[in-house]
Amino acid sequence: MFLLVAILACCVTGVTVFREKRAWDLIFSTLWFNGLLVLLVINVACCFFGRIWHRKLTTISFGMILFHLSFVAMFGAIVYDSLFFFEGSMRLTEGETLVNSSLESYDTVRQGRFFKFSQLKGETTLVKMHTGYRVDGDDKRAAYEVEVGEPGAKKKSIVYIGHNLDYNGFKYLPEKEGYSTAVYLYDKGGANLYGAHVPLQSYRQKDKSFMYSTGEKESPGVFPFPQGAADPLFYLQVVYRPSPVTERGGEAYFQVWPYGKADTMPGDKPLASGKGAIGEKVAAGDYSLSVNEIRYWVGMNIRHNPAKPVILGSLWVGLAGMIITTFGRMKQGGRAGKGA
Amino acid sequence: MKPELVCFWIAVGLYGVSTFSYIFGLIAKYDKLFLVGLLSALVGFIPHTASIALRWMAGGVEPFITISESLTFGIFVTILIFLIVQFTVKRVQLLGVLVMPISFVLLGWAGTLMKEVASSIAPALQSYWLWVHIVGAAVGFASVLIAAALGLMYLLKERNSGGIYDRLPELGAVDRLSYRFVAAGFIMYGLMIISGAYWSNSVKGNYWAWDPVEVWSLISWLMYGIYLHLRVTFGWRGSRLAWYSLIALVVMIVSYWGIPFGVETFHSGFRIEH
Repeated sequence: MFLLVAILACCVTGVTVFREKRAWDLIFSTLWFNGLLVLLVINVACCFFGRIWHRKLTTISFGMILFHLSFVAMFGAIVYDSLFFFEGSMRLTEGETLVNSSLESYDTVRQGRFFKFSQLKGETTLVKMHTGYRVDGDDKRAAYEVEVGEPGAKKKSIVYIGHNLDYNGFKYLPEKEGYSTAVYLYDKGGANLYGAHVPLQSYRQKDKSFMYSTGEKESPGVFPFPQGAADPLFYLQVVYRPSPVTERGGEAYFQVWPYGKADTMPGDKPLASGKGAIGEKVAAGDYSLSVNEIRYWVGMNIRHNPAKPVILGSLWVGLAGMIITTFGRMKQGGRAGKGA
Repeated sequence: MKPELVCFWIAVGLYGVSTFSYIFGLIAKYDKLFLVGLLSALVGFIPHTASIALRWMAGGVEPFITISESLTFGIFVTILIFLIVQFTVKRVQLLGVLVMPISFVLLGWAGTLMKEVASSIAPALQSYWLWVHIVGAAVGFASVLIAAALGLMYLLKERNSGGIYDRLPELGAVDRLSYRFVAAGFIMYGLMIISGAYWSNSVKGNYWAWDPVEVWSLISWLMYGIYLHLRVTFGWRGSRLAWYSLIALVVMIVSYWGIPFGVETFHSGFRIEH
């Protein structure tokens, strides 16, 4: 009982005082909290099975055994899963392929102590992002056409909310999606100097519309352009306004600031700015810029939880145990009432 | 005013009449007022049902997505089970003293939170698990509310005698009935948690995320698990369990509607946008 109360107190603290990631870091993911859970399971197993051992099997005791067994099995599976799980977040632009076993293919990764990256086989390709995707008349909004597997033997599927791709025990789940702009740089004579796909973030505006811009998760921002160059030419911000009529059409806005002056950022007057339709060049000082193509990028969660079937199955067994015990007790109560 | 809202507020008004009839009936020890309370609840249930049906027909979307819809549906199931108990179990008129005021207040609160009818449902909610989850939650809540009302009835009968109290069932019978409703609530709440885990697994790939609503649901489920252990293993009976069921009800109401109302959780709506 003390253990149960302590766990309940931790849960209340976790969701009222700390909340979300802080609660996860400080309580729910810690060794001591999981240790408390393990102690609770051992306690339940010892107390219950010690008491029921050698007793006559009745409907009530059968139900109780089922319930407590499911409880122990569930926690055993949770512990096993925590040692062998994998959870990764992969971001792909349409047409892009990433190698599954490479750590660089993931934005974030969490794994159990005994998980081996060699279990991640093959590669993942985002073929296309479908908007307004419908299944039996239901609007699924966004669906990702994905290929996973070894070259030449890939499994292809459409992934949308509630419909995941399962490959080799790894589940591919939709998470988020956004626009990616193909930004090109030209010199004065119009010669193409550089081109790259730049993913945009979405920001909800006060009027509930969205703004699509380069930047960080929380706020719009700039990036050195050309990307990865030893000596970038300037800081660039790209904003895209989708066309309400043409899919992947619309306008792109550019703003550039001199590179190297860390204190010259959005808020100060830009060196140059302008807008143009998709494919149209916009002057930016001695150069010109254009967005030649709009693609989508998608973020997918890739999960591997080897003990999950046992965990989820235990829940049903536990419920069955509860129902059997309750009916047994009602039957017993009814007989006692009649006897009296 | 839309017909759906007219029906809704008529139902709230009739539940209000029912509430005051039960409370004054208890204060005045005049059980004819309990009959007025029961009839008001019965008549109020008709426009309550109509308001849910009209909302459903207007949007074509299951009417238990928002907090106000969830409250409305939860109270609908509560009143339905309350009426079934009133017409099938003898001499339990006093149940309305707790059931009707809570139903009246929660339904009135739902009215203040009501939004326009949704014309489409988010992809994450397009699942049959939604039905299992919501029905489990609503029936679970109704069961433990009635168990708590039986607990209150037990405490009132134990401390008073004469008049309406003599016409109540024996204390032992009330105690047993309360226990059965707790057991039913425990099972239905368990079903709600399991269906939620399966649903979350199909949508997000995880069965448990330590979300505030999940944790509070677990807390209230464990509260009733402790109730059952106190009764079965430790042999608790009577007033101690009656008090326990009343306290556990508060936890249940907080976890069911208080948390999603006050804290931003994924239960406040799935937000998958680009």
